[in-house]
Amino acid sequence: MQMQETTAAPIHADVEEVLLTGDQIRNRVAELGRQLSTDYADRDPVLVSVLKGSIIFLADLIRAMEVPLSLDLMEVSSYGASTESSGQVRILKDLSKPIAGRHVIVVEDIIDTGLTLNYLLKYLADKNPASVRIVCLLDKPARRLAEIPIDYRGFTIEDRFVIGYGLDYDERYRNLPYIGVLRPSVYGTPPED
Amino acid sequence: MAALTVSPPPRFAHESEAELARILDYYQVAWRYEPDTFPISWNADGAVVESFSPDFYLPEVDLYLELTTLKQSLVRKKNRKMRWLRQLYPEVRVKLFYARDFKALMLKYGRLDFLADVAVMNGNGPLGDTGGGED
Repeated sequence: MQMQETTAAPIHADVEEVLLTGDQIRNRVAELGRQLSTDYADRDPVLVSVLKGSIIFLADLIRAMEVPLSLDLMEVSSYGASTESSGQVRILKDLSKPIAGRHVIVVEDIIDTGLTLNYLLKYLADKNPASVRIVCLLDKPARRLAEIPIDYRGFTIEDRFVIGYGLDYDERYRNLPYIGVLRPSVYGTPPED
Repeated sequence: MAALTVSPPPRFAHESEAELARILDYYQVAWRYEPDTFPISWNADGAVVESFSPDFYLPEVDLYLELTTLKQSLVRKKNRKMRWLRQLYPEVRVKLFYARDFKALMLKYGRLDFLADVAVMNGNGPLGDTGGGED
């Protein structure tokens, strides 16, 4: 991994700018954990996380929560990766246990268009949970195409292509300990606007 | 959940509109193509001289969507139409998808090759004129 050193932290050479430092993320996730612990005291929530981008956020979030909880993981197909198959979104990994009557917290890394989550919320609603709420680390509302009721959000960010802390470009950069803006030269399109 | 693809599919003015329709279909979001036309200016006799037909309507979120172009003159024209639309019909929710928004969408879905294909088809910029709404 090519790094360039700065006084604050080593920054990956493909990162144009650090949008959120590890400390900023850690502090905000701790706040979210405290808030969820208060709101879900005695409710035994099940946190449903959507692979793969949210796994690091999930791992940190649950350790910031002080209430009994359980976890489940789902994976949903993405448009670009599967346009040649069924032509419709599919559940690649389903819930491992029923959620009927349970208080569900959907854990998302980033909400952009909201299309995936919009589909997922309809899917989960059919499973008759007691409640469904959404916690997302990053809310990027500029291109929202679906109405997503975000109950807990870490940060609202501007319209940039972000990587790190679980977020990828072409499966890379998920392990960066901060959230950064990817250099446009990495994906071959120079900035125009 | 049922498929939402319109049958037969509408005749899209631009391939980028067809691509957006495929994305919406993929995620099972209902859409209609240019279903409504909003008059935005009239002559002294009361006849409509200019109108605006947003490319898509998403009924589940009550949102109109207009795709636009890299050509700055057309972007300005659409921005002006959007301003009039918002003034005359404040209850109508409409979002302008600029070329950079569409490009970001293609990047998100790993479809930058699509932009290159469209550029070749158009013989100009990566998005060209999406046509719809230029009444």
